[in-house]
Amino acid sequence: MTLNIKRMKNLIIDAIPDSPYYPEVNFNSETGVCELVGESYMEEAYKYYTPILDWLKEYTLEMKKPITLNLRLTYFNTNSSRLLLDMLDVLKKSQEAGNNVEINWFYEEDDPDVKDEVEDFEIETGLQIKMVPME
Amino acid sequence: MIMFQINQSEENIIYYHGPINIDLVSFASNYIKKYILAEALFIGKIHKVFIELTQNVSYYSARQYNTSRSFGSGIGWFRIDDKKDHFAISTGNTILKEHGSVLEKNCMEINSLDEEDLRELKRITRNQSGKRDIGAHIGLIQMGLITGNLLSMNIEPQDEKYSSFSITTKVNKC
Repeated sequence: MTLNIKRMKNLIIDAIPDSPYYPEVNFNSETGVCELVGESYMEEAYKYYTPILDWLKEYTLEMKKPITLNLRLTYFNTNSSRLLLDMLDVLKKSQEAGNNVEINWFYEEDDPDVKDEVEDFEIETGLQIKMVPME
Repeated sequence: MIMFQINQSEENIIYYHGPINIDLVSFASNYIKKYILAEALFIGKIHKVFIELTQNVSYYSARQYNTSRSFGSGIGWFRIDDKKDHFAISTGNTILKEHGSVLEKNCMEINSLDEEDLRELKRITRNQSGKRDIGAHIGLIQMGLITGNLLSMNIEPQDEKYSSFSITTKVNKC
């Protein structure tokens, strides 16, 4: 009998204090807990998000383990929102393939726009997103 | 040369004219968050509007400032004014003359829609955009949604090829 254990590297991109427009990334392949933290309004967002999307695709297709996406974004511009939608689309496909997918959207309680933003993502993807107030 | 003018008039909070890149947008948006005297709710809205509008100048101004960076250093201006019942956020830049009618059409469409229709337009526009699409149109839609106010734009011809474009939106104080 052969034991086939698949392994994947974690994806970690630390916050850059001089460039606060890049969010911190901490995607853990052991636990399946993936976090984006901070603000996201960089130039050419697709370049920043491409390795993130690649990691998510590989994890959901190869590892086939439960995944939890925690979004702790205090601001994201419309260009970043297009890439967030792509991330959610990857998770939707994984869910449709039978994998366990959980998405938590952490929000600041004095942000009046976030509820509509999240609702729009839910409408576009068909995913359920749990809204969690930030402490 | 980077030059900020503060208190250009009594109601003017910040004014800048020159090349606008991501680091300047980041610096100024942090300044807004720290120093504008208003409730957190309104500062949050000003911050969001400011970034979308200034990034449009950075990416789409027809006059670009060449730097060591390869991307987005459009020449233009921004200002924020503290009016009696609202904050006015304005930007301006040079555009190619033929882009004026598209911008005008987009603004008129956004101004004609209510919140639900704007949200639907945003979803459709976002879905149709490519990954590399920076999204001036969706940015303007977002302005309408965040502020709940009309976009006010102006286009003045400069010469045969170029026009001056400016846009203002308001964040209400209540």
